Amino acid sequence: MTSENPFRVGLETERAPAPCVFVIFGASGDLTRRKLLPALYNLAVSRLLPPGMSIVGFALTEQSEDEFRKNMHDAVAEFSRRKPIDETVWSDFVSRLHYVSGKFEDPANFGKLREKLEELDRTNGTRGNRIYYLAVPPSAFRMVNDNLAKAGLVHDPDDASKYSRIIIEKPFGRDLASGDALNADLHRVFHERQIFRIDHYLGKETVQNLVAMRFGNAIFEPIWNRNHIDHVQITVAEDIGVEGRGKFYEEAGTTRDIVQNHLLQLLMVMAMEPPVAFTADEVRDEKVKVLRSLKPIRAVDVVKYTVRGQYGPGNFAGKPVPGYRQEPNVSPTSIIETFVAMRIEIDNWRFAGVPIYIRAGKRLTKRVTEISVHFKQVPHALLAQQGPVDPDVLAIRIQPDEGIGLRFVAKVPGPTMTLRPVTMDFRYGSTFGGSGPEAYERLILDAMLGDPTLFARADEVHAAWRFITPILDAWSRTPPTELPRYPAGTWGPDAATQLIERDGRSWRRL
Amino acid sequence: MKLSVDQVEREVARLWEVEASKSGAARVELLTLVALVSEPQLLERAQKVLSEVVKRVPSRTIVAVWRDGAEPAITADVTLHRLAEGGPACGDCITLEAIGAAREWLPGNADRLALSDLPVCIWWVGDLPDHDDLFDRMVVNADVVIVNSQEMDLRDLEKLSSIAQRSHGRYALADLAWARLRWVQDLVARFFDDEQGRACLPGLERIDIEFSPRDGEKDATSTRSGLLFGWLAHVLNLPIDSPQWRRGDRWAEVTLGSVVTRFEQRPQKGVRPGGVVRVGIQCKTGRFEIQRQEDPQAFRWSREVPGASTPPQVLRVLSLDEPTLLLRCLERPKRDPLLEMSLQVGSRIVRPVAPRLSSLPPPVPTT
Repeated sequence: MTSENPFRVGLETERAPAPCVFVIFGASGDLTRRKLLPALYNLAVSRLLPPGMSIVGFALTEQSEDEFRKNMHDAVAEFSRRKPIDETVWSDFVSRLHYVSGKFEDPANFGKLREKLEELDRTNGTRGNRIYYLAVPPSAFRMVNDNLAKAGLVHDPDDASKYSRIIIEKPFGRDLASGDALNADLHRVFHERQIFRIDHYLGKETVQNLVAMRFGNAIFEPIWNRNHIDHVQITVAEDIGVEGRGKFYEEAGTTRDIVQNHLLQLLMVMAMEPPVAFTADEVRDEKVKVLRSLKPIRAVDVVKYTVRGQYGPGNFAGKPVPGYRQEPNVSPTSIIETFVAMRIEIDNWRFAGVPIYIRAGKRLTKRVTEISVHFKQVPHALLAQQGPVDPDVLAIRIQPDEGIGLRFVAKVPGPTMTLRPVTMDFRYGSTFGGSGPEAYERLILDAMLGDPTLFARADEVHAAWRFITPILDAWSRTPPTELPRYPAGTWGPDAATQLIERDGRSWRRL
Repeated sequence: MKLSVDQVEREVARLWEVEASKSGAARVELLTLVALVSEPQLLERAQKVLSEVVKRVPSRTIVAVWRDGAEPAITADVTLHRLAEGGPACGDCITLEAIGAAREWLPGNADRLALSDLPVCIWWVGDLPDHDDLFDRMVVNADVVIVNSQEMDLRDLEKLSSIAQRSHGRYALADLAWARLRWVQDLVARFFDDEQGRACLPGLERIDIEFSPRDGEKDATSTRSGLLFGWLAHVLNLPIDSPQWRRGDRWAEVTLGSVVTRFEQRPQKGVRPGGVVRVGIQCKTGRFEIQRQEDPQAFRWSREVPGASTPPQVLRVLSLDEPTLLLRCLERPKRDPLLEMSLQVGSRIVRPVAPRLSSLPPPVPTT
């Protein structure tokens, strides 16, 4: 619709979202306070919210609209990247905030919601457009889904005059069977093109820049294959512990919490073939091919190619911190992994024989997410009088200090041919300055625009679980009494080092 | 310390060596930014702006100034830009001073000092003189040419339009005043994002643009408002061949076909000269308005169209300083066809009320 607006042609914002009602289920929860409302407010500050757009919070908590508005003001003041609150913008933004309280299991409450939405259509011109954001536990997905359908709150996906979309947060199931069941539940009510599965990693500028770097430059693609790449390392490291999420973590563990989604997303973007166009389906078609090409880790090989660990007591920034089993809501005999490392392979023409080492964990030495592509040694050691020459490494830093670094060797000035690795660094912050939009801002805006490129598709989720589930099954078949322990503030258990060192390689120092 | 131009590179290298030995800082530069300071009183301002810009875009900056004198010569002064006083370096800063006829040598010397294989951006600081080939000679090797039409008169729209046309795509023309207009364009565009808004356009009758005037404003409208109207007329495909103008003391009206556009001076505290204060669009079936509020950075956006209920919005528009505007122009160093078209259309509309270049006296030959 907006593409027909002659005033948008040639402008920086060529696409503008149509007015809609953004309904948040679980509006009194942490995600709403920390991420969703600050993101919506920041979109308002950036003048990216369409006129008339309204936000309706729906939650069990009994509170008046004024109380909800006050709570959201406090949340935005605390968690927005822009501080302090711009009261001029807020005074307009707050008039868009509404609240409905009630239990999700009671269909009558969805009737109440429907009345509210219809009222907003009349007063704010939102024309029946709806986005439902499920900031609720997965156990509530089905209930909300069904009651939305019963209340007639889901439009026909082919109705061009209005839309209804649903955004859901991970976890998208906890194994292949439950992941497929969740997809089936969603598909009973929503068409796949109405479903937006959010993985906030995909909203990060650096992840999108990885696509730009690979396919916007001519120099990388010719060497982006098994002929030139020795191996790849992907690290998603956090220095914090479970931070009060012990109950959740006991159910999930690092493999479900990080590897099945964020880490595999990074792998897909790093390894995918060039899409024929930068459109949602073309990009996601290529991404899912990577997952389908992952060489399954057979049950007998799980011990060889995977490592689990659990953090013990240690220190963080010079202060003592408890081990995982001492965290609140964690079993003192827990065998849930807080660290995982794997050696995986992609069985396709481009990456056959190139090992991908991945690791993710909590309470590691530092917070860093990085993909490093390690190139092969030079074919002939012409300049190796002083030992082997360090191979080149291209490191893509996702967070913090987003950027790209290229390590190569250079001659040390002087009369002898002494070589030393040097680094060329590109840093987002210093080159472009300021802070870009947060991942949630970008993703919410994309959902309003109906662009699912940066969201996970059902077949992606299925393929990811198809790779991960046999590993989880193998682990659960022979549960250990204890996982290898690593002190908080280190890079994980020794077995992780052995996993890569037995191939004659080592983890990159981060 | 004044240097001859051939000593500049050596001195720059020495300064970076000293820097590296002190802080280990790497030398990273992304472009050469040349500021041509057309009037001596603008030098300090230009230097301040550049020192802010290089904090975000590490660059080599070359500031060229000139003054009268009998003995033609160019001397250079070299320092490093720093992120903060005493902090790490973020670019090198070369000031070239041309005396007398040596002004003619500036293009060659600036070219010689440009970093190899990196974009060159020319920023003309101040008003463009009518007949001065220095600008033309400087832009020959530029990738981006930045001006600020706000510092020019209404008739200069025509000059800028011809500069854009003459580039033949060799360089991109950017205008700081145009960058300031982005938010107005976006707010105007959102009137017509839906069908109900667009349905009103065939019945367009009147456009009002109110602006904050410069001291002693003589032009029919501010350059920025003229540029904004050039964009509106281009998008609306208004007939621009025979504009009919009427002028009063603080207002002017132009009729294009059946559409009347009124420009009116509306001084407001806290609004820069030339700044847009209000835009109103009136159609047979709808009304659209953007109105600056008492808080000069806040705007009320409202519309009344049949079949669509839209509550008004109050939006914040950040006041953009010169370094930020310059950075925005550097972020997207590409040709902007919309600017070029808006200049072309705007300059044709205002031609009857702005002296034409061809009507000015010819330049006095220099000896």
